Parts: sequence; C-alpha cells; structure tokens
Amino acid sequence: MIWDFDKLIQEADKEIAGCSDLAALEALRIKFLGRKGLVADVYASLSTASVQEKPLIGKGANDFRARVIQWLEKKKGLLEHASSAESAQVFDVTLPGIAPALGREHILSRIIEEICTTFEHLGFVVQDGPEIETEFNNFTALNIPADHPSRDSFDTFYLETPDPDNKNRNLLLRSQTSPVQIRLMQQFKPPFAVVIPGKVYRPDAVDASHSFVFHQIEGLLVDEDIKFSDLKGLLTAFCRRLFGEKTRMRFRPHYFPFTEPSAEVDVSCYICDGQGCSVCGRKGWLEIMGCGMVNPKVFEAVKYPKGKYTGLAFGMGVERMAMLKYGINDIRLFLENDVRFLKQ
Amino acid sequence: MKLSLNWLKCFVAHGLSAEKLAHRLTMAGHEVKNIDTVEDDLVFEIEITPNRPDCLNTLGLAREVSAIVNKPLKSLKDKALKLPKAMCDVTIEDKAACLRYVGAVVKHIQIGAAPEFIKQKLQALGSRPVNNIVDITNYGLFENGQPLHAFDYDKLIGGKIVVRRAKAGEKIVTLDGVERELNPAILVIADAQRPVAIAGIMGGAATEVTDKTQRILLESAYFDPVLIRRAGRALGLTSDSAYRFERGVDLANVDRAAKVALGRIVELTGGAIVNYRDVCFKKTVVQKSFTINATQMSHFLGTKVSAMQIKKILKKLEFKVSGASDQMSVSAPSFRNDIKGAIDLSEEIARVIGYDRLPSSLPQIKPSAIAPSPQFQMKRKLRRLLTGQGFDEVISYPLISQGAIKKTKMENFSTSKIKNPLSLDQEYMRPSLLTSLLAVVGLNFNRGQKNLRLFELGKIYPADGEKEVLGVILSGQRLSSWQSNKKEAVDFYDLKGSVSRVFEALGFDLPGVISATEDIYSKEQNAQLCFGQQVIGSLGKINKDILRNWELKTDDVYFAQINLQVLYNIQPQVKRFAALSGFPSITRDVSIAVKQSVPFAQVEALAQAVGAKYLTNVHFLEQYLGEKIAAGQKGLVFSLVYQSSERTLTEAEIAPLHEAILQRLQQDLGAAIR
Repeated sequence: MIWDFDKLIQEADKEIAGCSDLAALEALRIKFLGRKGLVADVYASLSTASVQEKPLIGKGANDFRARVIQWLEKKKGLLEHASSAESAQVFDVTLPGIAPALGREHILSRIIEEICTTFEHLGFVVQDGPEIETEFNNFTALNIPADHPSRDSFDTFYLETPDPDNKNRNLLLRSQTSPVQIRLMQQFKPPFAVVIPGKVYRPDAVDASHSFVFHQIEGLLVDEDIKFSDLKGLLTAFCRRLFGEKTRMRFRPHYFPFTEPSAEVDVSCYICDGQGCSVCGRKGWLEIMGCGMVNPKVFEAVKYPKGKYTGLAFGMGVERMAMLKYGINDIRLFLENDVRFLKQ
Repeated sequence: MKLSLNWLKCFVAHGLSAEKLAHRLTMAGHEVKNIDTVEDDLVFEIEITPNRPDCLNTLGLAREVSAIVNKPLKSLKDKALKLPKAMCDVTIEDKAACLRYVGAVVKHIQIGAAPEFIKQKLQALGSRPVNNIVDITNYGLFENGQPLHAFDYDKLIGGKIVVRRAKAGEKIVTLDGVERELNPAILVIADAQRPVAIAGIMGGAATEVTDKTQRILLESAYFDPVLIRRAGRALGLTSDSAYRFERGVDLANVDRAAKVALGRIVELTGGAIVNYRDVCFKKTVVQKSFTINATQMSHFLGTKVSAMQIKKILKKLEFKVSGASDQMSVSAPSFRNDIKGAIDLSEEIARVIGYDRLPSSLPQIKPSAIAPSPQFQMKRKLRRLLTGQGFDEVISYPLISQGAIKKTKMENFSTSKIKNPLSLDQEYMRPSLLTSLLAVVGLNFNRGQKNLRLFELGKIYPADGEKEVLGVILSGQRLSSWQSNKKEAVDFYDLKGSVSRVFEALGFDLPGVISATEDIYSKEQNAQLCFGQQVIGSLGKINKDILRNWELKTDDVYFAQINLQVLYNIQPQVKRFAALSGFPSITRDVSIAVKQSVPFAQVEALAQAVGAKYLTNVHFLEQYLGEKIAAGQKGLVFSLVYQSSERTLTEAEIAPLHEAILQRLQQDLGAAIR
C-alpha cells in the first residue's frame, strides 16, 4: 500500500493546530507517535512493501514523524504558555500585604518631637524636669510677686504635701514649664540653649478649649551677649522650619513677669495665608507662643553675677500647636485616647 | 477695654486711619482685637495686658498714641473749682486697705438725663446711660480710669462714711438686686450702721441714686488691689470699677478725678458742693529713678537708638528724664507702677518704636554647658520600639479619684493628694499608670474597640516623689493577618515577649523574672522584673475583681509597668564582639516530663551549668500539659546546641556531655526523659 503522505501531513497539522488543551494534545501524541500509533503503522508497512516502494515510504515516514514531533512540541509550548498566563491572572497583587502591625505615637508626642528636633537642629539640647514644684521655682524666682493672682488656689493646684524648703508653704503642680529654667540655671553656668517639654497643670474646668492638664515646650538661651534682635531672628527661623518658608511673623509686645521686653508671636495663618478664615478667626494671624528677654530679676534669683548674662526665653502650648496644625477642634480628644483617634 | 475713636480725638489728633492706628497700637503692646462701628463712631476692642492698668481708659491710651505718632496730648481739663472748707464725715478704719479716700457732698442735685456728648460716648463703649449723676461717674472712669461712686447722701445713716472690714454675717443687697453675705476678708464702705457698698466692687441698693435724690456723696478712692481681687473672686462679682481697682489705679489721680467729676456735676446738674474731704495716707507710689545709657540700650535691642530718641519717647510717656546721654536718669510717672527697673525702659523704647520696626539677627549658639537629657533620648527609643510592635501610645490624665484608687485595689499605694481639687474626680495623683490605663481601656471597650495594645510613657506620684514609668497594656485578640486569620486571645507571654524585646533592643540584658504576688495581678500570672536585687517593674494578668470593679467585660487584661528612673541609672553593658565560629554546631532535641512547680528557667540554668564546655544555647520549643502527662507534671521540649570555636565536634565528644546533662536533669529536678 502506498501512503498519501501529503494528506497525512495535512490532517495531522489540522488536528494538532485545532487542539485546545494539554490533555487533548497528549491524546494526539499517542495517536500519532504511540506504540500503536499512525507513525508505527507506517513503519510497519515497510516490511510488506515492494523494493521500489520501500525508500519512498521510509523517507515519507521519517518526514512525517519529524513534522508531527515538531508541531506537537510547538503546540505544547503554546498551550503551556497560555495556561501559565491564565494562572498569573488569578494571582491578585492588589490584596493587602502582610506585616507586623504598626502602632502610632501620640499626636502630642509627635508635635513635641517635631518642635524639639527643630530646636536641636538650631543647636539646642532637650531637657526635662519635675511636675511637682516649689512655689519658689514656679513663681518667686520667676519674678511673680507674692500677691499675684496666678498664685491663688483658683489658678494653681497645691498638694497637701508641705514644701521641704519652706514648711509654711505646700508643694504645687507646676503651672508652667518655666521652673525647669530655674533648676537648670541653679545648676549650670551659661552658655546654654535648652528646650523643655512637659506637662503643666491649671485648675480650669474641662471644655472644648480648656483642660486642667496640658503640655508646654519652654526654651531658654543664655550667654553673655544675647540681644533682643536675636529673639526675633531665632523664632522666625524656627517658625519657618515648622510652618514653611513663606510664613510671615508678627511680634507683639506683651507682658510676662519673667521676661522684659516680652512679646507674643503670631504667624500668618497657613490655611488662608493671612487673608482671614475661620481657623484664624478672620484675623489672618495665629497666636502661637510667648517670648521675651530674660528679666534680670530672674538671673538675680538664681544668683548669677549682676549684669553678666543676657538671655531669651520662649514658651508654647503643645495642644494649641497640634490643634492648629491638624485642625482638631476639641482639646479633650488628646487625653481621651480613643484608639480610632490615636490611629489617625 | 473699649476705645472710642471719637473720644480719642478729643485728646490727640493722631491723623491715622483706623486700620493704621490699630496696627500701631498692636505693635506697641495694645492688641486691637476687633473694630466695631457704633453710629458715627469706631470702637476698638483692645486687650490691655495686666501690667498696664493706666491704659484702661481713654486718656491713658491717648497718651500711648501721642507717643507712638509723636503728636501732642491734650491734658484733662481740670476747671478751677471752689471747694468748701466744711469736711464730710469719713473714717478709715483699715488704712492699709484704703490709702486714699476723697468724699464730697453735693446738694441741690437735679436728677435727669445726662447731655448727649456723655450718653453717646457711654453708649459707644457699651455702657447703658442711667441718669446724669451715674453717667458722670461712669464717664470719669472711662475717661481717666478712676472709678467713682455716688451715694444718695440722705440715705446714709448718720451722714457718715466708714471704710472698714465687713463683720462676719453682715449682709448687703448690691445694685444688681442680689443679697450677699459678707465676711471680714471683704472691705466695705459703711454708714453709721451698715455696709452701703462693697468697696471698689459694687454699691448697695439702699443708697442708690434715684430720681428722688437731692444730695449725693461722691466717692473717689484707692483700694488695695489684692483685697479687691480676692473679695471679687470670693463673691463671684466683678465690675468695671473692680477691674481697675484690682489692677491698681493712679494714687495721684484720685483727687483730680474727683474734682473733674465735681466740676461736671456742678455744671450739669445744678448742684453745689457743701463738704469736701481728702483723706490721704500716701500721695504717690514713689518711683525710684533709673540710669540708662543709649549705647547699652542700642546694643541690647540690636539696633541704633539715639539718646535724643530715647528722651523724646520717654517724655511723651510722661517719664522725667535728665542728665547726659551716656548717663540718663529716668523716673516713671505715678501711674506707671509696672516700671521696676532699667530693663523695663528698654521695652518702652522698643514698643513705642514698634517691634515690627526692629531688626532680626541670628544668635551664635555655642555648645551648651548642659547635656541633653538621657531620659528624653530613652523615651524617644521606647516610642519607636513599642510602636514598631504595634502598640499605640496614649497620654492619660494623671489626676484620679479616690474611687479609681479603690477600684484598682491601690488603697495601700503611696500617693499625693491635691489640696484644692477642681472636683473629687481629680483629687489624687495616680500611684500607678494602671488606673489611668484602665480608664482608657474602659472608654475604648464602650466604643467597641476591644483589641487594645497600648503604652504610656508617663509619671506616677508616690509620696516620695514623682517617677517616670513605662506602662503597657494588652487586651483582646492577638494580631493576625488575612492569611492566618486565627482569632487567638492575647496572653501573658505576648506581654512578656513585647517587654523583653524592648530590653533587648535597648541593649540591656533581659531582666530576671521572679514570681511575686501583687494585689493588682491574678495569683498565678504575675512576675517581677529585676536586675540582680533591684526590682525594675512588674507584669501580669490583671486581677478579675479589679476588672469587675471597672465594669470591663473581659477576664483578660495584661499590664506591665517599668520604672524608667531605675533604668536611667543602669548603663546597658557595652557588648564586645565575639568571633563567629566557622565550625558546624550539633543540635539535640530533648523532651522531658517534670513537676509543674519546676520552672523552665531552672532547667535551662542546670543544662548550662553542666554543659558549659560546648553547650552554646538552650532553645525552648514547647510546653505541653494533658493526657499524655501524669497529673501535676508538664512536658517540656527544648533543643541543646553544641558548638566549638576551634574545631568540628564529633558525636563521641558530645555524647557524654549530653548524657551528663540528662542525668543531672533526672537527679536534680526529678525529670523523666521521654
């Protein structure tokens, strides 16, 4: 029998090309190349073929086998590729990644950190001090007169514990971070530049803008030749780093017993850029801190030589900075600690 | 303080627009908060700092404006007044409380409406006109700052004025119609029998000037600022007068203000002055004089200010200046009690020039003689380490109630008590962070947040002084991911692991753990952390009763508190580098059964002691309890790792050592090898 090799090849090509999955392709491989497959049948026919037919059949069979093997391989490659492409689509890269949970620093810690770091870059060091203080450190040494209203029990928390240095008076909860200035000056000689973050206490009934405990950051720079112009320059540099280079500054004369001259510092409202909005109460300015040149009476209280040193001091409320910066409208949120607030 | 611009113009022709004037006043220390239009007038709302009572009136602010714009100030018209020789009956019992009292009796008063120029100004300042006498006294207060009061003279019993302390239990009905009980801390103006005014704060209804009044007694006085302030706070009462008295009025203006008002009364009500008395213990608070130097001041302000300029500014502010430019002698006017040193004069110069017109410079900051606080640095690290482990930082209220202490079984803890608490909720300083943190847990539970991993870096306040501590609290489920969404409750070991990780990361050796019962923890699950003999904190499962007391619907809250004060004083050991062994290690797993009372730490210590030669690590794998283990026993599985830094160990070398360890575990601890 003479094989019609052209037809065999055509049909095999068609069948292999039409195959759509790897299982069907395997069935075709068996059909063509299997032990009882078509190629085997062709070779088997050699034994009964005539001498003239033998070389024709042999060559035809070899070609046929080679073509089938080639097509099967190619088709197999195509099908495998297609199936791997399919499985890649199944893998969803958009599902959330897996990592240990991240906690958040309290927003007040973040603000304190930001402010302290800014001052550290300007050459300050961070210090801290106790919350339970003496009347001397909290008031007297800061040039606050004995009959000043802030000493009244309406404005300062007193403990039942007597002051070990003055048995007639009681210890108190500091109403400002400034007593740490006194402690440091009693212990160290200038030059120094320190910032002091911490809790302070005042007997204010709690509402959206008042709390009986809140946080302040205090700064003190003392050397032999610190000038009033340095106060403006230093705090301008600080505010521009914190609120942006375009921030405009305003120093308004103010009154604090422990500084002279004293000032309050306003920055142009970062929301409206000074045009006036609800955040700045239509004023275009945000009041952010108090400052001044250290009153010589304070140096006197810590027994520095008369006239030797000058210094500048400043202080700001951390809650107020956070409220301004993040648009928080209720001071109670800070110490309530709802985790949904903490996570923000 | 309100300022009428129409009224201001009567004293100084400043020539500035309202906006410009507001800016200049603000830059001179009198912040203009608001500008209102009242009919044809503009009214500034100005914040006057507490050291400047002299600016709580139109004339005082006019003086400031005159200095700022360098324009002349028209002084107060003090018409020549013929004062009678006859005196009125004024007795001052408490001289320290009343340094000066001017009283004048005026007859033939025609009560009626005040003229328009007075009414308009009062209305612009938000003060309701009453009648000519009352309006003239109020006009004086807003004009020159001296509070005045008019009594209906015919209602003063005995026609007498007595300045004295109130007697205990005395009562007065004040002008606002409220009956108030007085006490000896309060200064009163009395007649022969009863208080007729609370000195400096408010008059009494009984002697009020009415339509029928024919004779008045006009009062102009100086009362002790502290006394007035405390009385006002104690009574919960304030007034325009009290506001000025408690900040301090000008002693030297007391009689002038009285005379100016009397001039108006005579002119506008047809009255005639019949008696006049000026009781004066002190005419002015004598001002020291200060010496200033233009060069030094220029240097301090960082800008050149000439002696001429300084003199001009100070004279405008009514200071007396004399002497050469390098040695100017300056004394302050009687109304400037805030000037207490030469330094205060530099502020006068700076603010009149305007802070905005002074230059800026950057200070040369030298390395500080003070080292950064190691505490702050450690807290920074702790925050990073704990947030990295999924803990949220909280900052809670340090003041707590007695109830909170009881609920937390801390009655025996030492604490500090507030003498003047705002409320009983904030009467004590917390003795432990636990009270504050349980309140935070409660708040979050109530809002449906039950998986809590929280920490606080805060203070506790035992009687021997405040201490900085770290508190960690855990509750709810262990952190899980969507791949292994097992809902497992946190336990003791989660807390211990997190705390241990912190010590490890800070470079400390892991603290020793000893079981020790504290009331706040459950009897079984609690431990103290210590370095040697020194206890640095504790951790454990919170006692169920405490959770019940706090109404927390869970049995599983874990808490640790570490005393940072102690840690600050212990330097972590500097670790020396240990050469890495290039030789393989041999690991042998061991499974033993041992009595439950034998802690793993004991097993570990024994293995290490016996295997010291080659044993490099004891690695805990598992603890199991249950059916396969005899009652009272527990199964422990761990691996022993042997290694030499010099050569590859052989089985033959390890076998006897390993065997020795197993033997000792059996002998010493009664362990059964499994």
